[in-house]
Amino acid sequence: MRAEDLVGEEWAEWFRLTPAERFAESMKLWETYLALGGSLEPEPDCSSPFFDEEEWRENASHGRPGVRILRRGGVQPGS
Amino acid sequence: MGGQACVFYGAAEFSRDLDLLIPADPVNLGLVASALDDLAALPIAVPPLQAAHLLRGHAVHFRCRREDVAGLRIDLMSSPRGVDDFGRLWARRTTIEVDGETLDLLSLEDLEIAKKTQRSIDWPMLERLLQQSFFGADAAGKDSAMESPLVDFWLRELRTPELLMRVAAGFPFRAAAIAPSRKVVALAVTGHVSDVAAALIQEEQEERERDRQYWEPLRRELEQFRRDRRITGKSEPCTS
Repeated sequence: MRAEDLVGEEWAEWFRLTPAERFAESMKLWETYLALGGSLEPEPDCSSPFFDEEEWRENASHGRPGVRILRRGGVQPGS
Repeated sequence: MGGQACVFYGAAEFSRDLDLLIPADPVNLGLVASALDDLAALPIAVPPLQAAHLLRGHAVHFRCRREDVAGLRIDLMSSPRGVDDFGRLWARRTTIEVDGETLDLLSLEDLEIAKKTQRSIDWPMLERLLQQSFFGADAAGKDSAMESPLVDFWLRELRTPELLMRVAAGFPFRAAAIAPSRKVVALAVTGHVSDVAAALIQEEQEERERDRQYWEPLRRELEQFRRDRRITGKSEPCTS
């Protein structure tokens, strides 16, 4: 059984990388994310036992500005 | 033990924090507190960094303020549900070098156990980690990969029906040995892929429920810590 047949080309390619290559690719993504102003606060996760909405709101404001959508295009309802 | 470890082993987690497993003895906690001071890290949630809380299974959360790591979250744990004691985990660890720095990761086997939580995001990752283990060994063409420890690990942990069925068919004696402790393995030998898929979903739901039950008293403790913090305006001291 080939990985491509089960998980698709993209995942199969990811699996073929060495751990060090995966780590390096992940770091590139991380640098781009930070350059775009991405927040360091984890996404709210209601299924986590640690999650507290109030605590998350307090922390979100300290986790860097974050990426905010200033304008959303696309198809509007009824258009 | 978090997203970075998962990336190393083959999943594709985009983790925004650093999850560290630490021994909760007084000497080590002193060293951890000193390292946190160096990063200008402050606690950002309950409970405070104390051995008793870590040993109970709680996580302790910090945010760094030092300029080069400003905003980075660090979560510390000592005894996630189901995992071995720190000494054994340390003996089984994987050590890697990144940019000249040595990093120690939980072994894949221990990471699999630590990630069996109630959180939805952990389960697709568990599946990916096992897929990589399977296809990685396959691609390497190692005969040694087909030795009993790895086969047993796959039979105990694989979450992809097709792969589990393939391993069970290839190693029927090992599958028979493991089936009493994992019902889905028996199905993987005789059943249809849809039956195995349904049994894996059932297995996941049961494990997530076990984690919820395990966390129930700890959640109550967290709520009490939060109430205390709101009343006093501050939590207990940062370190023990």
